[in-house]
Amino acid sequence: MAEATDPRPAFRVASPTATRELVLFIAIVVVGAGFSLASPYFLTVGNLVQTLRAALELAIVSAGMTLVIIMGGIDVSVGGIMAVSAILIGKSYQAGLSSWVVAPIGLLSGAALGAWNGFLTTKLRVPPIIATLGSMYIFSAIMFLVIGGAWISGLPGTLSPLVNGWVVGIPASLLVILAVYGIGWVLLRQLPYGRHLHAVGCDERSAGLVGINVDRTKIAAYSILGLLAGFAALLYVARLRNVEINIGTTVALEAIAATILGGTSIRGGFGSLLGTLLGVVFIRIIQNGLVLIGVSSLWETVIIGGLLITVLTADAWRNRNNPRIA
Amino acid sequence: MDALMGRLRGDPLRTRLMVLLGLWLVALVAMSLVSPYFLQARTVPYLLQYVPILGLLGLGQTLVILAGGPGIDLSVGSIVSLVGVFVGALVTAGIGVWPASAAGIALGAGLGFINGFLVNVLRIPSLMATLATMFAFGGLALATTQGRPIGGFPPEFGWLGQGTTLGMPNAFLFVLLPVAVVLHVMLTRTVIGRHIVACGNDDRAAHLAGLNVTRVRVGLYVLSGVLSGIGSVISMSWFLAARPDAGKGMELLAVTIAVLGGTHIFGGTGGIPGTIVAILIVTTLQIGLQLANISAAWQLGLIGVLLIASVSSSGGFKLGLFRRSLGAGA
Repeated sequence: MAEATDPRPAFRVASPTATRELVLFIAIVVVGAGFSLASPYFLTVGNLVQTLRAALELAIVSAGMTLVIIMGGIDVSVGGIMAVSAILIGKSYQAGLSSWVVAPIGLLSGAALGAWNGFLTTKLRVPPIIATLGSMYIFSAIMFLVIGGAWISGLPGTLSPLVNGWVVGIPASLLVILAVYGIGWVLLRQLPYGRHLHAVGCDERSAGLVGINVDRTKIAAYSILGLLAGFAALLYVARLRNVEINIGTTVALEAIAATILGGTSIRGGFGSLLGTLLGVVFIRIIQNGLVLIGVSSLWETVIIGGLLITVLTADAWRNRNNPRIA
Repeated sequence: MDALMGRLRGDPLRTRLMVLLGLWLVALVAMSLVSPYFLQARTVPYLLQYVPILGLLGLGQTLVILAGGPGIDLSVGSIVSLVGVFVGALVTAGIGVWPASAAGIALGAGLGFINGFLVNVLRIPSLMATLATMFAFGGLALATTQGRPIGGFPPEFGWLGQGTTLGMPNAFLFVLLPVAVVLHVMLTRTVIGRHIVACGNDDRAAHLAGLNVTRVRVGLYVLSGVLSGIGSVISMSWFLAARPDAGKGMELLAVTIAVLGGTHIFGGTGGIPGTIVAILIVTTLQIGLQLANISAAWQLGLIGVLLIASVSSSGGFKLGLFRRSLGAGA
């Protein structure tokens, strides 16, 4: 009866969102099969690696978004964080700093902007959606004021191997994604902080009463998301070697969509990094496939929106007898 | 004087309105200092030209947020775009522009009903549901037109968006003003208005008192859709074209205006006059900075700061910008 004294649940392979992950995985296989029948180019190594590289930034941001949504928050300003970090990165490169200095600048600026969002939602008690909407405006304003409609271009690609490189036959971008999600998994499932995130997402008041520092947990979550957005900005600069004016315009909505598709509850309290990763893959495969079979990429937003509505409706139907949500 | 102060203090909405009017005065003075062109008689119609479309969206947003839930409608901009594309297609197909507009407004009602259904019947959080419909509606508008604007509206259609009466833009005089007055009367003088505020204050109490909370809230989402549809018609009449991205970014401005105007983000407190003054403030800032040739980026940043400041409770309390009616002593 040794287990009885340990109140923690045993290590489980199946996450609470296992059904959703399975469905999403099957959907990816089915959609992939459909596209490979429609276009001979879809199932080639070149195309799949290309899709993977295109998914890199979204995957990284989505991992942080999953933490924030599990905690019961949301952040629509990640695109703005990415933009401001990318500009700082670009300006630092132009000032002649080496990558060893530029990389921490990018990461820390992202984390600082994330902490600003956390400060707004906890200390000033602004609801997260309003706070991050406001931040989005402010961050875009900073971006426009600094680069004034022109691109920052001709940046060095010293970090490009992280995106384009290969390590013993495995694309480096895959390793980066796996590293980020591995660390995220340890944080979420193995460390006390992960428990705190879940507790705050489930019931903020109770979490506070049992002694969790709710404000600190929240600010940390927004900072982690900011840090990952800064990392995504670094990789963006490494991939394109310039900073375009439209950087990060769609990343927030795509990251939220990927997280929700992956089974994380929009009300907070539970979620899954694996599901989010599958959600990212699903979104990017649809984008890639649509282009290959010659459908305008404009339909992609319609499809993501429709999928979101379907998934949310299915969730609502499943929870129709749950009094906590009524 | 004491009595006046007491009355002001007793009604948080009225305090808010005074603060907003003060803010507007500050904005007007600041803008006329920044730009010599601002303080001229012809600026007024110019200012009012910009107000109606955003105003209609802001009014719809105010009511949706006011009825609580918490409710919010992030899809209003996409409804503007989609209704425009729909009306444009009807006009291209040879249907008269006014019947087509009526059909467009009906479509707006339908899209609003979808939002209301998702949020209040299926109980999907409003933020997520309307974010998804924002994607879907906006995407449809862009995808069906391949992003190209639809032209070919008859010039006389411009009466609404371009024409003026007594120096005032028609869209302001004949659409926004009557709509605002009707909604204000509805909210403060009719049973429906009381029901809306009751739903926002305490939906459980409202339910127990026999109100059909779901119906009230769905109705307000439909109203928001209708107002967005009307806004879309004004926009088309102004440009004599239906742009598939006509409403882009408007949802955020609409939320900003409603919240800045004193409507509590979780419902229960708020009103039409505050929203109207908030629209004037935001538009004054936009046009003043534009006339002064100051980068549009400052406008974005300023709106962001306004949005956060108007909601933040501790900062807002000090500025008197934010008060929830916690009781007579507040």
